[in-house]
Amino acid sequence: MTAAAAARFAGTDRKKRRTSAAGRRRRLAPYVFVLPFVTIFLAFSVYPLFYTARLSFTNWRGTGAAEWVGWDNYAYLLTNPAFWGSLGNSAVLWLLIVPAQMVLGVLVAVLLNSAKLKLRGLYRVAFIVPFVTPLVAVAQIWVVLFDQRHGAVNAVLGLLGLPDIGWLTTGAWAKPTLALLFLWKTTGFIVIILLSGLQSINGSIYEAADIDGASKIRQLWSITVPLLRRTIMFAVVLQTLAVFQMFAEPFVVTQGGPYNSTTTAGYYLYNHITRADLGTGAANSFLLVILVMVLSLGFVRMLRAKD
Amino acid sequence: MTETAAPERRTRPRIGSHAFLMLLLVAFLAPVAWAVVSAFKPAGDIVSSPLAFDPGTFTLDNYRAMLQDVPIGQGFFNTGVVLVGKGTITMCFAPLAAYAFAKYRFAGRNLIFGAVLVTLMLPTIVLIIPLLLEMKALGWVNTYQALILPGAVDAFAIFWMRQVISAVPDELMDAARVDGCGEFGIFWRVVVPVIRPGLAGLGVLTIMNIYNDFVWPVVVASSERMATLQVVLSTLAQNITGNRIGADYATVTGELLAASSVALIPLLVLFIVLQRHFINGILAGSVKG
Repeated sequence: MTAAAAARFAGTDRKKRRTSAAGRRRRLAPYVFVLPFVTIFLAFSVYPLFYTARLSFTNWRGTGAAEWVGWDNYAYLLTNPAFWGSLGNSAVLWLLIVPAQMVLGVLVAVLLNSAKLKLRGLYRVAFIVPFVTPLVAVAQIWVVLFDQRHGAVNAVLGLLGLPDIGWLTTGAWAKPTLALLFLWKTTGFIVIILLSGLQSINGSIYEAADIDGASKIRQLWSITVPLLRRTIMFAVVLQTLAVFQMFAEPFVVTQGGPYNSTTTAGYYLYNHITRADLGTGAANSFLLVILVMVLSLGFVRMLRAKD
Repeated sequence: MTETAAPERRTRPRIGSHAFLMLLLVAFLAPVAWAVVSAFKPAGDIVSSPLAFDPGTFTLDNYRAMLQDVPIGQGFFNTGVVLVGKGTITMCFAPLAAYAFAKYRFAGRNLIFGAVLVTLMLPTIVLIIPLLLEMKALGWVNTYQALILPGAVDAFAIFWMRQVISAVPDELMDAARVDGCGEFGIFWRVVVPVIRPGLAGLGVLTIMNIYNDFVWPVVVASSERMATLQVVLSTLAQNITGNRIGADYATVTGELLAASSVALIPLLVLFIVLQRHFINGILAGSVKG
């Protein structure tokens, strides 16, 4: 009896020892799992971020000694018309892009959401094609299409008896041409986001509206848009971030010209790098982050206020 | 409402919506289609009659000239190296770290994950200057390391995979543990098979992002030997807008359209084959901001 008890005791003891070894492994495992990520994250995200903060208070030009200049870089930018001009250019692009994109996006998403629509799959694929094509390749095609003398767009205008437009060579048209590129490239993406929002709306609400005799347009405005407001706001925030960071489009298509009319906030920041004016560039990137965050929070608050 | 009137009232708007959608479809596909078709026209014709296409004049001259003048092979090769290197690192280490964040309690978990969320909101351009300096200090400018390592396990991949793995029931993992499975074994044999659709979405999104990435490559590796496909392409348009003096406009245009067509094709094929995963990936990716 005692022998059996002792054996049983020894057994539980052995078992306990085994589970504690497993427990130790279980406690250590997560550290091992996150280690590769944390190493890369610290080296290439966290460290550079703190470095930017420091750099923005110096006048370092990439070589030699860095001199501490306090808030000078920020003061320089905030009193510089070129900095405000770059923000203004981005703001105009925002106005040209975001409202039009939301209207178009909602219309297309609502049409595609109807289960009875024929060719639904074809439309969906076709609208996302621009989004998956490489921006640089498309931006170059834009340069050729919108060329004033040889481009296909002016050739179409010619057929319609309309005069040539200097799409990329006049300050007035360069922004709309870039806006068109951005709209073309990203509207399919917005449609997918809105479609995912639409799928969470209960269909029976439309049946009730049908019975009440509400027209389709009335239903769109009074039912769909209000119920979709969160998704729309989400899309607006995403596109605001994207428009204010826009860089590759002006880099490839217009190099910021003509007369700086397409020097966006993102492109202006890049100019500091090419001039090795790193302190100012760092300060500029922080100002841009603050602006983008304030805008995003503003949209979120607008959304809350209406709730 | 009579029964005969109902379908009639419904068909008219449907014709209208098809007309609207078809118009958009043409607008969305036309630029790409025009470029691909025009690349097979004689260079002079692209410039003189951009809207016409005469199958009799079909030519591969633009492709020949492009292959001669543009280091597109090198561009594809470099992009391929980055895709394999960076893609492998992302696909191995992001789900693994996300597994730890989703299923274990450990010191520093909330701190690290909070930092991940903050970097999600930061515009990428904020990090460009200090990263470039870091690369200079390491002697990595114009190297594959510089193209591969920064952002190799990006915050978004962690965030998304954590969401996906959180949905895996703990009971599955406990059962495996009782069966004597080790901690990594649980991840590899229990979690990975369950989250395969999420992994496919992440894979497709990762390929798309790496293939299309432009800003970081153009800043850190713009030498001819290291230029990725997108960087190679970007120099062509600048030739057209006048940075290269004496270049013949028609020839450069023909080469540019040929090069752009070639660059478009791999992703388009991938997209058409893996549509569903693309759409899942894009939807999840939209959270990134």
